[in-house]
Amino acid sequence: MLRNTRTAALAFLAVGALSLTACGGGSNDDAGSSDAGNEFNLVSDGALTVCSDIPYAPFEYEENGEYTGFDMDLIREIATGMGLELEVQDVGFDGLQSGTVLAAGQCDLGASAMTITPEREEKLGFSEPYYDSLQSLLVPADSDTKALEDMSGKKLGVQQGTTGEAYARDNIPDDVEIVSFPSDAELFPALQSGNVDAVLQDLPVNLGHTDDGAFTIAEKFQTDESYGFAMEKENTELISAVNEQLSELRENGKYQEIYDKYFTE
Amino acid sequence: MKPSTRRRLVQGVLYAVFVLALAAVVLLADWEAIGENFFDPEVAREAFPTIITVAVKNTIIYTVIAFAGGLLLGLVLALMKLSPVAPYRWAATVYIELFRGLPALLVIFGFAFAVPIAFDWRPPGGSAGAGLLALIIVSGAYIAETIRAGIQAVPAGQAEAARSLGMSPAWTMVSVTLPQAFRIITPPLTNELVILIKDTSLLFIAGMALQDRELTTFARDSVSQTANATPLVLAALMYLIITLPLTQLVAKLERHNQRGR
Repeated sequence: MLRNTRTAALAFLAVGALSLTACGGGSNDDAGSSDAGNEFNLVSDGALTVCSDIPYAPFEYEENGEYTGFDMDLIREIATGMGLELEVQDVGFDGLQSGTVLAAGQCDLGASAMTITPEREEKLGFSEPYYDSLQSLLVPADSDTKALEDMSGKKLGVQQGTTGEAYARDNIPDDVEIVSFPSDAELFPALQSGNVDAVLQDLPVNLGHTDDGAFTIAEKFQTDESYGFAMEKENTELISAVNEQLSELRENGKYQEIYDKYFTE
Repeated sequence: MKPSTRRRLVQGVLYAVFVLALAAVVLLADWEAIGENFFDPEVAREAFPTIITVAVKNTIIYTVIAFAGGLLLGLVLALMKLSPVAPYRWAATVYIELFRGLPALLVIFGFAFAVPIAFDWRPPGGSAGAGLLALIIVSGAYIAETIRAGIQAVPAGQAEAARSLGMSPAWTMVSVTLPQAFRIITPPLTNELVILIKDTSLLFIAGMALQDRELTTFARDSVSQTANATPLVLAALMYLIITLPLTQLVAKLERHNQRGR
């Protein structure tokens, strides 16, 4: 008898616990407190939680146990200006540009060298553009490829899902085979190993591979694209606060300082 | 209270807990947000028919090639591991331990990038070819152990009887031991096949041309074009559509084999 009573009691306890959690879930959203940054509906109070697909030098990469790079330095200044700590999470680019990491409440903002496109704008709220991106063609220094037109019959490496890939598809001769890779971490080895004959991606990233002289930039492309920080569309307070900080940084010269640190050729 | 009443009561309560837990999951989920992010019919429609004509097709082709190659390689390795000649046993053991211990993703990366840089040699078939070679090599290591266990599970009397009838050792292996071994290892081999279907999704690391894409690469491509995660859900569905009938088929085959004994 005793054992069965206990089982029944446990069962009722479990039901009770469940209904309690059910109630708790509903009342969380509109709890009003006065913590810093609470008006932005932040994932964790007092901190700007930023999602980024790392590494993508020079925009985001790890150095001495800390995330650094153009995006990271800029967003750190923005967070500081808003009186918030910066917390960075490394996520895949798929989740970033489909908006799922934001919708899932994993972070407040995406800072990942993300180009503002109409498709993405349907889903995401973007800050003002903070960087104008040039695309470029990286080839081995001894290659006879001097421009995109010379690529006939060859293989071109691009980053999957990037605007560089879209540009390549629209602008190359028909007989070029486009091979897409998840990130620069596979793209550059593919070029080194001869799996592809050239790489088309963002200029700053390609520039990073020209240092030892074995590879060179054959051509640059103006694509009228800009990067933006991505946020939830409804979170207009956060978007305008970020924009405010951004224009402040442009005015006080801090933006130029960070820009020069990463993009002086 | 009668013991039977009590038992019914306890069962009733447990049932209620289950239903309540299910209801909690259903009621608490934000279905609108889920639908918007993962089940957008507009985005799903765009994926057809390419998801079938390219992605599903390639996933199946890659799996069949990797499994066939792995089976062949695994059989050779298993026989080597059971060989009376010591160096063969050693070689097979080293091979199996090495490639069973390495993540498939890293082996694919190695064959696609490290091997060409080191030897100035590229596996045939481009990136997909290099990736497939790596998958064959990895699955061969797993399958070898499965086959070896199967061979050892065949009662020794079977081979002894065959030998006493005057069969050669090789013929005994081919006509008596191996058929019985494969019957025994049908379930673990199915497991290996299902794992391989999913492992083809790792090929993306080697780089993919448009017409070479398998399900996962295709889905990730679509995610970037549509800025929506629905294609990933669609791909998940496709994997299930491939694997579920397959496991059913093998279960049927297994029952058939049981009766045949």
